[in-house]
Amino acid sequence: MKVDKQITIRRRGGKMILPIACVLGFALWMYATPKSQRASAETPDNANQNAVHALIKAHCVNCHGPDKQKGEIRLDTLGPAVDEATAELWERIQYAVEDGVMPPKTEPAMKPADRKQIVAEAVRRLKEASHDGTPRLQTPMRRMTRFQYNNAVIDLLQLRVDLFALPEQVIRPYSNYFDPASGKMPDVIDVGNRPMGPNQLNQPRLEGVAPYPKDLRAEHGFDNRGDHLSLSPLLMEEFLRLSRSIVESNDFGPKKVGAWHWLFAPPKQNQELQQAVDHRLTKLLTHAFRGNVSEEEFERYSEFVLGQIESGATFTQAMKEAVSVVLASPKFLYLYAPNDESKKQRGDNFALASRLSFFLWASIPDKELLDLSAKGQLSDPAILDQQLDRMLNDPKIKRFCDSFPSQWLQIEKLFSAKPDADLFPQYYSRNQRASVHLMLEPLLLFETVYVENRSILELIDPDYSYQTEVVKNWMHNSNKYNTGNRVTYQTRRLKFQRVKLKDRREGGVITNAAVMSMLAAPDESKPIARGEWVASVIFNDPPKPAPADVPELSDDPEKLAKMTLRERLSAHRDFPACASCHEKIDPLGFALENYGPAGFWRDTYQNGLAVDATGVLFNKHTFSNPAEFKDAILAEKDRFNRAFAKHLLSFAIARKVGVTDTAALDKIAEASAKDGYKLRTLIRQVVHSDPFINRK
Amino acid sequence: MKKLSRRAFLQGVGGTMLSLPAMESLALAGTTKIAIPAQRLAIFYVPIGVVRSGFFPGEADSPPPAFNDNLHDDDINGAFTKVGWHDLPMTQTLSALKPVQEHVNLITGMDRVFQVGTDIHAQAACCFLSSAAPYDNEIKRSAYPLDRTFDHLVADHIGHQTPFSTLEFSCNSHTDSKESYYFDNISWYGTGHVAPSLRDPRKIYNRLFGTKGGGQNRHITDMVLADATNMRKELGRADQHKFEEYFDAIRTIEQRIARMEALRSELTKVEIDEPAAARLPRGEYIRLIGDLMIVALQTGLTNVATMMVGPERWDTPYMFDGVFEKPMSHHKMSHNQHKFTDELLKVDRFHMEQFAYLVGRMSNIVEANGTTLLDNTLFTYGSGLGDGATHQFSDLPIVTAGGKSIGMRTGKHLNCPDGTPLANLWLTQASALGVKADRFADSTGTLDQLFS
Repeated sequence: MKVDKQITIRRRGGKMILPIACVLGFALWMYATPKSQRASAETPDNANQNAVHALIKAHCVNCHGPDKQKGEIRLDTLGPAVDEATAELWERIQYAVEDGVMPPKTEPAMKPADRKQIVAEAVRRLKEASHDGTPRLQTPMRRMTRFQYNNAVIDLLQLRVDLFALPEQVIRPYSNYFDPASGKMPDVIDVGNRPMGPNQLNQPRLEGVAPYPKDLRAEHGFDNRGDHLSLSPLLMEEFLRLSRSIVESNDFGPKKVGAWHWLFAPPKQNQELQQAVDHRLTKLLTHAFRGNVSEEEFERYSEFVLGQIESGATFTQAMKEAVSVVLASPKFLYLYAPNDESKKQRGDNFALASRLSFFLWASIPDKELLDLSAKGQLSDPAILDQQLDRMLNDPKIKRFCDSFPSQWLQIEKLFSAKPDADLFPQYYSRNQRASVHLMLEPLLLFETVYVENRSILELIDPDYSYQTEVVKNWMHNSNKYNTGNRVTYQTRRLKFQRVKLKDRREGGVITNAAVMSMLAAPDESKPIARGEWVASVIFNDPPKPAPADVPELSDDPEKLAKMTLRERLSAHRDFPACASCHEKIDPLGFALENYGPAGFWRDTYQNGLAVDATGVLFNKHTFSNPAEFKDAILAEKDRFNRAFAKHLLSFAIARKVGVTDTAALDKIAEASAKDGYKLRTLIRQVVHSDPFINRK
Repeated sequence: MKKLSRRAFLQGVGGTMLSLPAMESLALAGTTKIAIPAQRLAIFYVPIGVVRSGFFPGEADSPPPAFNDNLHDDDINGAFTKVGWHDLPMTQTLSALKPVQEHVNLITGMDRVFQVGTDIHAQAACCFLSSAAPYDNEIKRSAYPLDRTFDHLVADHIGHQTPFSTLEFSCNSHTDSKESYYFDNISWYGTGHVAPSLRDPRKIYNRLFGTKGGGQNRHITDMVLADATNMRKELGRADQHKFEEYFDAIRTIEQRIARMEALRSELTKVEIDEPAAARLPRGEYIRLIGDLMIVALQTGLTNVATMMVGPERWDTPYMFDGVFEKPMSHHKMSHNQHKFTDELLKVDRFHMEQFAYLVGRMSNIVEANGTTLLDNTLFTYGSGLGDGATHQFSDLPIVTAGGKSIGMRTGKHLNCPDGTPLANLWLTQASALGVKADRFADSTGTLDQLFS
């Protein structure tokens, strides 16, 4: 169904437009169905369908119908999930009804059996959508991110240094603590914080090579999304400049370039020139262009190099020129799946090799992956599994741990967290912030779960953590440094120690000081931001953007002084337009109210009123403190598991996960649950999934 | 590098600029005898709307906007003024324009259409200059009603002979990367294809006046173009479309190198020192970026430039030096307009003062035939939100400046009928600059009244 009509609604003088594809869908589908098929409408499936439409009519259409479209949703004419937009609507219905968010409390209650029936219908529709040939979203071609470019050049030329300072790679190792093959993280880890610690970006690099701007994370997504990775003349200039400055750098020589001897060093006296050039170019181009290179292209490059030599360049200079071309060539810069039918089998294998290596190594594939692709063997599930084992145990997997968790946790929000220095002097040491330490705690937890192949449930509620002296007991810092004096601590090399956690209020990716203090204003916690974060990160269900008209909360200072934050914010929920979302996200944030703006534990607010951290998760699981909140999340472990799988799949295929990926996602989640929610199992299942393999 | 004070830098620029011949006409010296200065376009984007009571005439006493759950409520804003021409009102915010009031128009009653499904701030910025009709079939792959923006359409017509067909500037000095591209860019080559902006004065300086010329790398671009041509054959249709960006980029760079060469000897006469690396107070930073934009327009480096005075949303507080004593978050304050009315009015005034400064500078730059740079430029101030608190896409604050030689009337207030698409203004400006088009985006007509 094409989106070709629109409804316009006046909104405070402005206009809002809604797609009515979904609206028209059902009506057209009814009319377009031949009589003979409609006559057979008395199957149990269709009976259920009609019952569900009757329920929707009775309970929903008053607010989501022809007269009103609250939340820009209209349900009276909802049809089968024939496109992503309609399917998404069914998905929203499923969760809203399942969690009791809809119908709102102000409306007549819905019987539990009716709820079940609607949810079952939504699930059926979604299943249908992912099986009936509705086209799956495709990943558009895209250029490399800055991080990937850096890694790809390093791998291609076997550089012994980085190209750029990369603040996006948060953890700076001072020892080789990360050994995925060992299956064990050491007890003591010596690291720095690149983006936040003083001088932590200073590392050996190629002199004279300047970076291009860091790629931004997509909203509710990662930095590898196609529509974010476009190319402008400005950026192309940078790539051309980079491709020169790399080979022209004073450091570009045998000491720092591992590929020097086989690529740039002049051939031995007795070797024929053209043979030497061809031999080297074959190796270079196959690797750089990931197998996707024709005879004609080899020849063109070969002529180019020989031409350079003929016009007076030395062998080394000529090869540098060739490398300079390669590094600015679209065949190097872009990730894409060739659409050439004649080369399909090989092409698919090479594309798979690239997807694998960019997912796990944030870089181009190595020789072994390319050799297997050339033979058309990589797509064989058994061989793919072997390769996965190899890749998951290769030190290059650190790049996955350097990009996925920090973006998943949105940890960059911590850069701008500046708790009030008068209220929380412990957060500051000279000109540095404690977040230099705090930021690494959840990231090291993720790495531990990866290296030791543990259950992702431990990301929520582990009984261990890596902490420095500063992080240790941070929650009770208010007592620890009760002198009011500022303290000083190390902010460059940080010694993290594995500790056993005795207090469930600590540890995990939610209840740590980094996440708590990044989701806070300088002098107050931000329960709604925290709720939104939990909804987005933990359950992968980001609330829709706030409506255009946002109410202001009462600002009568006398009244406010006598209210808790929860009471003040409950005003939000008095507005029906806000209630549906806020009833969903607010409890997730209020559960964490005991963590103040700097992450310190508190039982009372500054005005003396008691903190109330009670709530109900998904209208099912009650909790009254953070430990019980974790229990509630773990009671919904399959929901978390599936949400995490969805993040991971989205990162792997560099696009939004659509409703048509539902069946694939279910399969990943089921396999993960069967194997104790192990992180590497999840990664393995993502790689074997239809959307990743690009199976129809 | 020699470190110059900000003052010395400005004097250097100003002094030289006045004595400069009109570059763009020199570039065409072979074909024209009388130097007619080029026509230009410039945009000044202000994020997060304004406080209406301080900005719009007749709204000074109306209460701050209250939350209203009724979608069908009558339009209350802008209902105080009759459709048509009025005297330029010197409201609290607009009074910053007093020194240049003869050169500006206030335009009210302009709306955009919000397409449900994306963040409202992101759409306010990224679609400000596109206003594509929502759910346009051509762009349905994007959640944003985002199409090739107006500045590029104009540049296709008046920017095809300058080294840079357009230039994009931003005063986003945030060091965190909190928001996506859609909050931070108003200029787009097309759907999902951003024209990224420059925000570091030194980088801008080096790009515009740097001595490192290209040209000698022709053999490299020839090779990569051959690779690109081969590669295009392997792509599916959607990807082929996207891949045009690569060819466009290479072509643009090659043209630029050639045009820069032609302009090189003239550019050496521009005496500008490289800006210092130190952090500037916010106002000076904005004015420096604006000055660089003006120099680029004046010297014929480009005829089309856009600048954002800050990104949309982006909660991180920063210093408004001289306005507040500590870092403040414009966005956060906007959500509590009741509480922060005075502060927000200061921000609005502060931004308008920067715009007035740039208008003033352009009006002092005399070009070859005795007109000023401002006379030859359509320079527009605007925000994608009509009010920072309500997030409305209606009744946008728009101020146009300059364009006397292009036939523009100035010094007045034009109130348009409620619901006039902003695209009508863009279409009007495009037509004035010689673009032949009957429609742009969701336009319904033109504002011919603007031209005398």
